[in-house]
Amino acid sequence: MSSTSQKHKEFVAEPMGEKPVMALAGIGEVLGRKLEENGFDKAYVVLGQYLVLKKDEELFKDWLKDTCGANAKQQRDCYGCLKEWCDAFL
Amino acid sequence: MPEYLDDPSVLTKDKLKSELIAHNVELPSGNPTKDVYVQLYLDRLTAQNKKKHAAAAAPDAFSSDEELPPPAVSNRSRSSGRKATKKSEKLHPEEVDVTALTDEDLRDELRKHGVNVGPIVESTRKLYEKKLQKYLDDGPVQPLPTELQVNHNGNSESDIYSDKEDEEVAVPEPVIEPEPEPVPVVERRVRSGVKTPVSTRTGSSSSSRHQKVEKISASEQNLKVEKDVPKELFSGDMNSPTGISVSCRKPIRGAAGRPVISSDLWNEEISFASPTTKTSSYSYTESHAVNRVSSVNPSASFASFTASSSSSNASSSTPFVTAPSAGPSRAVRRSMPLWKKLVLFGVLATFLIFVYLAMETNSVSPFQASEAAAGGTA
Repeated sequence: MSSTSQKHKEFVAEPMGEKPVMALAGIGEVLGRKLEENGFDKAYVVLGQYLVLKKDEELFKDWLKDTCGANAKQQRDCYGCLKEWCDAFL
Repeated sequence: MPEYLDDPSVLTKDKLKSELIAHNVELPSGNPTKDVYVQLYLDRLTAQNKKKHAAAAAPDAFSSDEELPPPAVSNRSRSSGRKATKKSEKLHPEEVDVTALTDEDLRDELRKHGVNVGPIVESTRKLYEKKLQKYLDDGPVQPLPTELQVNHNGNSESDIYSDKEDEEVAVPEPVIEPEPEPVPVVERRVRSGVKTPVSTRTGSSSSSRHQKVEKISASEQNLKVEKDVPKELFSGDMNSPTGISVSCRKPIRGAAGRPVISSDLWNEEISFASPTTKTSSYSYTESHAVNRVSSVNPSASFASFTASSSSSNASSSTPFVTAPSAGPSRAVRRSMPLWKKLVLFGVLATFLIFVYLAMETNSVSPFQASEAAAGGTA
């Protein structure tokens, strides 16, 4: 059984719509602010980046690290969250 | 003789600019990438360098070999010293600068390494550059293997130690992630302990015990009970209502309305062998009291019957009711209810009384007759 956080479950449960980027699993206040500074103010923009990178795990994680300084766990959580969302809704 | 560097990329952009200016080389307008300056430097100055060497009648290959070690050494020293410098600076001069590549070229280069490249846009470009750089550092597929190897060794080693920290850290992390976490599946040992009520030590008879043990073992087959040996001892009274019987004997059959089992009766019979024979004999005589018209026998039998019944009661500590029930139901299973037996008993008793009364005159007379006879004779 995979251990997913409450945030992950909530995000994956429904279409993201206009949810802020901080709604993503692994993205808290600090990281969210950094992403917003870089122009990724909504969760769907990050989704866009994820899709542009062709859902590649390594690339997306590297991008996340470069853009907002996420650590390995945060990268993993965010990637997993988006991946599952895409599997469900895309 | 001024020696111009054959690998101008080791210098910074500003230094390149200054060098070019110093040698009256036209600088391109705008703000081109460093590679442009490198090329200019190479074109103008290194060529001059070579011309000068050519005057010494040294072949190009030879001269190029001579010039190799210093740049290699300088590469290493520089690369080890600077950690934050761009990787492109340490590259082989023939090597492409990933930052100078166009989007299409970058994509082509990545495709050569088997990467499924997505759109190279603003946000993705840097990532793909990094990726290409990684591939190039790992194993550049370029001509001039000797130069490559020398530089590659130096670059790769230095890169691994100095600049590749982040990526190396990042690489093992995703490697570690897919590892399946071994979830220890602990089998729950079903320790039932003793679920069935273990309460008594019964010194019960063997047959009933075997029956009970069989029941217990069947129910406990799924449960892993380690204590099997003591379990047999504690087979207990599974049939008793509360499951608890403190006494040493099994529940008494035929008492308190409990159904009498033939096996139990047989057991009882064995224990009651001696008194029951008496009772049976007396009951037999009772039944035949009609035939035998003797005052002594019925009364005696009646009295002895009661005595024997009481004795049997005393020995077995069963209530008085069980004795008569044991008698008639000796051969046959208990089919007659209690009250019927009492009625039968009463009927027989009254019958015997009538017989006694009827014979009373006779009984009196023999004695009287005998006495009379005795008195007459005497």
